[in-house]
Amino acid sequence: MTVQLIFLAFFGAAAVWFGIVVFRTHSMVRSALALLFSQTAVGLMFLVMQAEFLGVLQIMMMATEMSVMAIFMVMFMMDPGGMGAMEMTHQKRLSLWSGGVGLVAAVAVIWLADWGPTVPDIPGAAEQAADLGRELLGRSMFIFQSAGLTILTAMVAATMVAIAPIEESSK
Amino acid sequence: MIMELMIALTVGAAMFGTGLYGALSQTNLVMIIMGVELVLAAALVNLVAFWRYLHPEEPAAQMFVLIIMAVMAVEMTVGFGIAIARFRSRGSVEMEEASELKG
Repeated sequence: MTVQLIFLAFFGAAAVWFGIVVFRTHSMVRSALALLFSQTAVGLMFLVMQAEFLGVLQIMMMATEMSVMAIFMVMFMMDPGGMGAMEMTHQKRLSLWSGGVGLVAAVAVIWLADWGPTVPDIPGAAEQAADLGRELLGRSMFIFQSAGLTILTAMVAATMVAIAPIEESSK
Repeated sequence: MIMELMIALTVGAAMFGTGLYGALSQTNLVMIIMGVELVLAAALVNLVAFWRYLHPEEPAAQMFVLIIMAVMAVEMTVGFGIAIARFRSRGSVEMEEASELKG
């Protein structure tokens, strides 16, 4: 058993466990923090898999994103601290079945498929970043630019949806 | 059998199942967004694992990870925009109370 395998299993278990905690706790702030830890564990998995750039990017991006999410949680929830132990779920049986069937089907495909032989060593971190840069500014430039444009459109759309209508804000 | 790939993909499958359960079972819009974030994180894990253990010579796989991250940001932005609009007009982001969109 390699060191990489051990760390991959450890951070993977942490990512799944914190993912489950998100929906088990009544406190919304704890939910947001659990999701942050889950996403950080995913970032650490990337580092273990030697995708250094993506790992650091994942951790930085999710730390910001989940902090914003925690603020929204406190703003919008009736009971953000979870002191009232409110029930905030519906169609639990259907959801459990859907999640369970999805999990079992995916695991069956993963363990029954033939993934081929192990690949040789991967490029170093600097070479990976250079290759990714060449990919983004070369062959995949259109896709990359489309992603940027999509984010810009989403920002404008979300702002337009969120700002108060003129008649409401003038009251 | 590439054991590391199997472990990473199994983690991805478990995160997908958990996220799907959360997105379907929660009544609050922000919690539903959290479920979708978990599903997208599962896709990220799978993409990085495929790149690392099957095609490390192909940087396009890493590019797709960036695209999924962009999708995560867009999903959160639009979701919170809708949440603010909903909270302003109805005073709640509970999806049980948003049945007027039903056909």
